[in-house]
Amino acid sequence: MIPYKKRTALVLLSMSLLGLWPQSTARAQNITASASIDSMQIFIGGQINLTLEVSHPQGMAVTFPIYADTLAQSIEVVNRGKIDTLSIENSRIQLRQVYRITSFDSGMHLIPAIRFMAQGDSSQFVQTREMALKVYNPFEEVDPEKGIFDIKQPINTPFSWTELIQYWPYAAGFLGLMLLVALFLVWKYNRKLLTPILGKEKPIDPPHVIALRELERIKEEKLWQKGQEKRYYSDITDVLRHYIETRFTLPALEQTTDEIIQSLRPIESVDNTSLTNLQMLLQTSDLVKFAKHIPLGDENDLSMIHAVFFVNQTKLEIVKTIEEQKETSQKI
Amino acid sequence: MEQSVDIRELNERIKEQSSFVDLINIEMGKVIVGQKHLVECLLIGMLSNGHILLEGVPGLAKTLAINTLASVIDAKFARIQFTPDLLPADLLGTLIYSQKNEEFVVRKGPLFTNFVLADEINRAPAKVQSALLEAMQERQVTIGDHTYPLEEPFLVMATQNPIEQEGTYPLPEAQVDRFMLKVVIDYPKKEEEQLIIRHNLAKSFPKASAILKPQDIIKARQVVKDVYMDEKIEKYIVDIVYATRFPADYKLSQFKDMISYGASPRASISLAMASKAYAFIKRRGYVVPEDVRAVCHDVMRHRIGLSYEAEANNVTSEEIISEILNTVEVP
Repeated sequence: MIPYKKRTALVLLSMSLLGLWPQSTARAQNITASASIDSMQIFIGGQINLTLEVSHPQGMAVTFPIYADTLAQSIEVVNRGKIDTLSIENSRIQLRQVYRITSFDSGMHLIPAIRFMAQGDSSQFVQTREMALKVYNPFEEVDPEKGIFDIKQPINTPFSWTELIQYWPYAAGFLGLMLLVALFLVWKYNRKLLTPILGKEKPIDPPHVIALRELERIKEEKLWQKGQEKRYYSDITDVLRHYIETRFTLPALEQTTDEIIQSLRPIESVDNTSLTNLQMLLQTSDLVKFAKHIPLGDENDLSMIHAVFFVNQTKLEIVKTIEEQKETSQKI
Repeated sequence: MEQSVDIRELNERIKEQSSFVDLINIEMGKVIVGQKHLVECLLIGMLSNGHILLEGVPGLAKTLAINTLASVIDAKFARIQFTPDLLPADLLGTLIYSQKNEEFVVRKGPLFTNFVLADEINRAPAKVQSALLEAMQERQVTIGDHTYPLEEPFLVMATQNPIEQEGTYPLPEAQVDRFMLKVVIDYPKKEEEQLIIRHNLAKSFPKASAILKPQDIIKARQVVKDVYMDEKIEKYIVDIVYATRFPADYKLSQFKDMISYGASPRASISLAMASKAYAFIKRRGYVVPEDVRAVCHDVMRHRIGLSYEAEANNVTSEEIISEILNTVEVP
């Protein structure tokens, strides 16, 4: 195969011999017309501009030929530009029109002479010279006998992180949302994990501590001394029922006096004295709450003593080992 | 301090006036073996002026129980077997033309008695059921142009057979609501059944003696009304009834789609009255939460409408009531 540069030189030489230059000019009765192309050779499917220029005296009208889609055989029109007025000097007007042309057939093609008519006189015209356009086929000829192959191998484009920079607001939003969801799940199901982040969780007091604290509060409020016996007993029984519920996991809040006593009876850690005291207290409480009973002052005090006694007798104490005690004392 | 004296006095009065309850129990116990719950419910119904719907298989001494109660109180008793061809006039009575006097005379029906056993009430058509239930509610019957009050005390114990439902007319929900209690009775225990055999094979069947007069019951009813019910108990009753209407508000969301309609205000009234009567039977002048819980199933079981979903899941009104009692906080 002849190299491209060599081929170009041969084409230009043959064209010069034939007089087919990329620019051609014609002159007739004060009208000058010229046609020029960007390049004399293109690859198949490549596009070049064909520029037509006409110069004529002022007052004269010149008609441009119209090429809709084909300029010549094998030369197609891609785009037809408007006719522009370029300059006015020496009472002359210069007009220009640019065609975008292409070709899908390889070989040497002839751009024919383009004729411009002077308006009002069909005998007056001017035409450009013919030009040659060489169209190259850069692809190898397909030989069906050799089998089908890729025209071009797939191009390997290396991955670059910079391509992702444009998406960073979305990525940041998504990560933030995921973080919130994760924090919510941990908060809901395993708060211990959050302790290092949110700070140490406040330890929950054991049931007996809460009960004794509440009983002390009721005592300090001096309710029965103010004539509020019903509230006094309601508060005491509420505290005890909450205590029983958390300490023995019994539904004491939804149980009646008899049911509470029946539920506590089989529990070993509740001795008979505590149970009897509790029963006495709950029964007195029922009388106060539901039968307008007003107990004596001593009875009220005794009820409080029974309540405290029951909590103290049944509380769950964690006995520390000697080592644990030592550790605690060392810390102190 | 005065309030405390009042309740003490009331307690004493109730203890005194409720002494007949023990006597009734003793006399009934001579004839009825076991079925203590049934006897208790009969007393509650009688003392709180309510009526009882009884459900149980045949042969569980339903008739014998109410008959014995009537004889203990020296009251009149009538048993009406409900059949598909029964007419309202067969219950209430009608006007009959007397050729002798050439005028219409009133023939009173069997409802004009103290204790009525409406046996297999669901076998009679709706018009007969309505006639009975209207008389139960109004406690009077109109025949012709005259209205006649029914006897006092007046207690209807209607029975329903839970089996053999073909060809029956189930009571509509509105009618069932008029029964204060729906009591479900079961077979006696082994020892009780053994005793029943002995009773029936003995030469003479034991008989209960009349120890009371109907007027005593009317007086007792007034005392039952005086039984003190604290505001806390009232709230507890309201909470229980509301839990059947809005279960989700009481942490019972699982029943939200299972209850098509909850208990009516009549249920609240009945629950309060029955609780008072129960406290009276226990010889107390005040109601405690135990009383409410003791009668709750009998008062509520026929007042909760179950949805198709509940039936598909085999959830009964009994289970719903139990769960409500286990969830609603006791005062």
